[in-house]
Formats: sequence, C-alpha cells, structure tokens
Amino acid sequence: MFFSINESNGVAIYEQIVRQVTFAIAEETFKVGQMLPSVRVLSVQLAINPNTVARAYQELQVDGVLEPLRGRGLVVCAGAIRRCKEIRRSVIAESLKEALTQALHGGLEADEIREIVHKQLNKLDGNVATVSSTVETSS
Amino acid sequence: MSDSITAQGLEMRFPGCEALRGIDLTVPSGSVFALLGENGAGKTTLIRILTGFQSPTAGQCTVCGFDPSKDALEIRRRIGYVSDQPALYDWMRVDEIGWFTASFYPEGFLERYGESISHFEVPRNRKIKHLSKGQRAKVALALALAHDPELLILDEPTSGLDPHVRREFMESMVDRAVTGRTVLISSHQISEVERVADMVAIIHQGKVRLMDSMIHLKETVSEVTISLDDPLIALPRLTGTIEVLSEQSSGRQRRMVVRGFDQSAKELLEARPGVLNVRSRPASLEEVFIACTRGSVVAAVDDDRFGRTGKNSEGLQPSVSGGSHES
Repeated sequence: MFFSINESNGVAIYEQIVRQVTFAIAEETFKVGQMLPSVRVLSVQLAINPNTVARAYQELQVDGVLEPLRGRGLVVCAGAIRRCKEIRRSVIAESLKEALTQALHGGLEADEIREIVHKQLNKLDGNVATVSSTVETSS
Repeated sequence: MSDSITAQGLEMRFPGCEALRGIDLTVPSGSVFALLGENGAGKTTLIRILTGFQSPTAGQCTVCGFDPSKDALEIRRRIGYVSDQPALYDWMRVDEIGWFTASFYPEGFLERYGESISHFEVPRNRKIKHLSKGQRAKVALALALAHDPELLILDEPTSGLDPHVRREFMESMVDRAVTGRTVLISSHQISEVERVADMVAIIHQGKVRLMDSMIHLKETVSEVTISLDDPLIALPRLTGTIEVLSEQSSGRQRRMVVRGFDQSAKELLEARPGVLNVRSRPASLEEVFIACTRGSVVAAVDDDRFGRTGKNSEGLQPSVSGGSHES
C-alpha cells in the first residue's frame, strides 16, 4: 500500500501511519494474514525516522491489529477488520466533532448546522466513491 | 558508549563576534540529531569545533569518546562529514576521487563508494568540475559514507538541491539510523527535520535555546490563542513547569507558543475576567523554531549578560575579543 505523510498537518507522523494502516485494513487493502513492510523498508521508503515507524507498529500491536509472525515480521491479525472499522469510526467521529465545534464556536445555531449537515449528506450520499472502490479501480 | 557527542560550555569568540556563548549538548548514540538555527546562529562553528577544524575559546567536548582538540585524526576516522559546500578536487574524476580517498581508510571503502555512486547514478568518468551541484553533493555524501562511519555529520547538506537529491539524502540518513549509526544534521528544511529527527536542538545567538526529543517536543509545545474583550487586559503569569517561548498580540487576541501548557493553565487563563476564549493546539516544529529564534530575544540576552561575568573570570577569554561584551 501507499502511505502519504504530511509532517505539518498537526497529526503526529506515527499517528498518521497508525491511521492509514487501520483504514487500509478496514477497507481490506490489507488482508488478514498479510505481512506489513519491515520498519527498515517503510522508514526508508517514506524517508522518516525508523523509531517513528516502530512506534506506530507497536501501537498497532497493542491495539490488537497486528501480530508478530515469529522471525518474519508483522501480519494483520484475524479479527482486525472489525477492530479497525471501530477505530475508523471513532477517528471520523472525532473529526466531525471538530468541524461541529468550529461551527458552534463560529456562532451557528444547532438547527442551522443540522440543516447544513442534512443538505450536504443528501447531496453526497450515493455520489461519493467509497475508499475500497477507488482502491479497486486504481490498482 | 551511550553518547556520540557531548559538549559542555563551548564558547567561541572571533574578533568582534561571539559565535558560541556556552553550548551544552548531548547527542545519544544511534539517534538522528538535528541542529536548527538561523543563519549565523553558530551551527557551522559548532560543527567545525566538533570535527577538530577549530579549537574553542572555552569549554569541552567529545566526539565518539575523543577530544577533537587532541585526537582530531581519530575522530575523522570514525565520522563522515558533508559540508554545505563540499571541497572536492575539481580536476579529479568521480572514480579517481574515490580511489584517492580510499587510501586514507581501511579496506572496503572503494567497494562501498562504488555502490553509492551507482545508486546515486553519478557518471563515474566525469570530472568533478563538470558535475552539477546535486551530483557534487552526492559524491561528497558517497565519500562520507564509504567507510561506514559511526557518526555522520551533515551541515546544511541539502540547501539549494532539488527535491530528488534531498529525498536521497533523507533516505541515506534514515538508512544510517536503521543500522544504529548516529547522524547529526544541521538544516533549515524544517519539514525534513520533522520527518527524520529523533532529537532537536534549536540554537539561537550562540546558545542552545531548546533541546528535546521530537516526540516529547511535539507533545508538550502548544500554540495558544486567547481572545479578549479588551486588548489591554493583563494575563496571569504562567508559572511552574510552563515556559512561554513567545508571545504576540494582535488586536483583541494574544497568541503564545507555550511549553508544558496543560488543563490547569488553561483554566487559569479562562478564569481571568475579560478572557473570552482560550484555544490550544499542538505547535508544529516550524512554529516552535520561529518562537525560539524570534520570541524573547531581549530576555535571552539579558539573562546571558548576568551569567557571563562569572565565566569571564576564569581567564579563558583571549584578549583580542575581550571587552566587547562587558562594555
């Protein structure tokens, strides 16, 4: 899979890797049992500090998403998909919360926000390519 | 050995200029350590002292366990150094300079040099004077890496180079770090530093303004924006472990870059009458850098003036550069 790292978007780099791996598993770009690139390979490929990659992998292991395959590397756990979907859901909820906080902070009324959300949701629902479908067409 | 570089109280004075004014630094082995600072902050001077090209006015340092003023040769055997303007013999060809340099190092140098040159795709039989800036930099890097040094020092290696070459330099740095070697890099490319560094030191006016691990730095430094209903409201002083790196005000807003900002500090600010809103978010390395190098310049200078008298009395200061500061 391809990662894209943005060093100055406010999300720590290790967290960006964690999220991208999680999302990739949720949409099944990474399949259960598939092996992830080694710390060395990924850090050179992305030109980021190897400790950052190691930290991300460690966190993914703690989250029960990856498990070590003795002497070979890290693979996606059985049952990781469900876990990753949950994590993805909470990450997305968090960013929606941020957008809503901004709206409230800017002085919009709850009803106005609801209207905006409804309108945008109606417009977008069914018209947005889901991540897994874009992956299939682009690969 | 756990520290690749140590420095205590390094000072360097040139006639009419104090380049370093007491640098304390520790670079752990196996880390990628970034030195950040404006042009003229003293980074290159520091590197020149560490590599034994210059002896400091005062202070001690060790590199790979050796003292550069006594064992410069031992250090040079163990380190690789790429300066911002690598001095290479213009009239040599790319393969000749490798062959020439190999004679100073143990066996295996030429093979590794050859591998890097092929990897970097530099034409072997071209003369150095006919190489582009990027190719010259690659030759310098290949030479610096060919003896598999314990410590690689890069002094603004990527300034003026295209994104491809910069990327290759970064990949080489990461590759060093993966094999447990130490890298010291001085750079202005903050976004690059943000990706590759474990540790950062920000040097400002010849002093280390801030030194921390990248992770800790990112977790503890925040940018705080405070909205006020009157621009003249005085804010409570943040004390304890909290350090305000810079403060700016614009109309009815104040913006601070703060280290160690926490919930209780937020509550303290919010409790002040006239404060409408306090928002904080993690600061980027660039914001930290700007805050450290612009922020409280005056305060830093004043601090220094007090601290200095004591050090001068040690009698290590040469008469040439003396006086300019105390007057």
